[in-house]
Amino acid sequence: MNRRLRVDWPACKARGLCHELLPEVLELDEWGYPVVHGEVTDELLGLAREAVRMCPRLALRLVET
Amino acid sequence: MNTSPIEVREDPDVHEGPALLAGLASGPSLAAHRTQFGDLPRLALDDLVEAVDDVGLRGRGGAAFPFAIKLRTAAEGSRRPVVVVNLSEGEPASSKDSALARTRPHLVLDGAVATARALRARQVHVVLPGDRPLTTAAMETAMDERRDRRVRLVRHVASPRFVAGQARAVLELMAGRPNLPVTAWTPEAVAGHRARPTLLSNAETWAHVGHLLHTGPPTGLGTDDEPGTTLLTLRLPGARVAVREVEYGTPLRSVLPQEDAAVLVGGFHGTWTTPETARRLTVSVAGMREAGCALGAGLVLAVDDCPVVWTQRIVAYLAGQSARRCGPCLNGLPALASALAALDDGGGTARVEQLSAMVVGRGACAHPDGTVRLVRSLLAAYPHEVDRHGAGYCSWTKPRAVRRLRSVAS
Repeated sequence: MNRRLRVDWPACKARGLCHELLPEVLELDEWGYPVVHGEVTDELLGLAREAVRMCPRLALRLVET
Repeated sequence: MNTSPIEVREDPDVHEGPALLAGLASGPSLAAHRTQFGDLPRLALDDLVEAVDDVGLRGRGGAAFPFAIKLRTAAEGSRRPVVVVNLSEGEPASSKDSALARTRPHLVLDGAVATARALRARQVHVVLPGDRPLTTAAMETAMDERRDRRVRLVRHVASPRFVAGQARAVLELMAGRPNLPVTAWTPEAVAGHRARPTLLSNAETWAHVGHLLHTGPPTGLGTDDEPGTTLLTLRLPGARVAVREVEYGTPLRSVLPQEDAAVLVGGFHGTWTTPETARRLTVSVAGMREAGCALGAGLVLAVDDCPVVWTQRIVAYLAGQSARRCGPCLNGLPALASALAALDDGGGTARVEQLSAMVVGRGACAHPDGTVRLVRSLLAAYPHEVDRHGAGYCSWTKPRAVRRLRSVAS
């Protein structure tokens, strides 16, 4: 089973916390919004879940693909 | 805000066609419709699924999604489904749904109501375009003519905004919230209006459903792979806006002007083609996809001036039409419009390409993706003209470099 982070774009307001927690998967674009790179591996799953929980806008979800 | 470089036209020349647009002279009234096509078709869900599957009916709102898959999905839900007729075509240049509303409203409504009955849905929501008063009035007249004890017609009016017709924006409108796109976590056919399975299709799709149920599969029209017809909005230089029903497999050449013209296929979210490519295209979902185009909302816009200038104006308009909710679209589209404008000052295409890659796939709706499709198609079809603009020239207008020098001198 593959997992990806998906952004709820209208909710995201570029706070950038997700990138702080998970730079391996999330970069920021020039305006500070996350750019999702690839899938969430098993090793990163814990951090990905934390990023989802910590997002101040509740704009991040872990989805199965 | 930038206004659309093409104004909305609700009164196109609607040409007599082989199926949906046959027998237009009898008018749009319910009585004339019943005389021509007969009573509302009643059929079981399985027969309906089979009928739309056999002819490979695809949605005509732009995405060309197979209708049978949506229908089956909506039918499989545990809750009672909802049916939606979307007439809020956001493409200002498209007039086909307006044409249907004004000539064939009951074919549209028969398709939706017959489907609603087969699905045991109790409501058909009809979403009308806020910026098209004649279309809205025509549909309202048609809705008032009908009586149906089992299926209620519910009317909504969409905001006059490009993205208001997006499926999720329509569901927001129906829920009483701002008519703007939100993130779809599940397909509408699984969970849409009030979390019910929601079968949302555009007016032309419903008209094809209605026609299919009344007259059976289109015999002798279209190709083996793509039976039947589709509607095109034709905007050609020096001609009135026209809506034509053509068979699948029709050479696009047959509706294009003789003279060389850059052709935008699909809509503002569509694809630029050169005159040579346009003449080789056929009206076909699969064929156009192979050629890197999409039939989209069925617009064919042929222009006798510069496609670079057109794209600059269209993207400036589309940037202003962002719902301003998704960061990459809110920031990226105005930046993309500026980068396109800066081509004329030697800004180069690198920034245009960088921004295109940055906004694509990063929004709640298809607005950024569609805008990027348009921009990339310009770079692919007209690289030399883009380069000429960078050097201060344009093949269609006076040399800009000369104008710039003059303005420096004065």
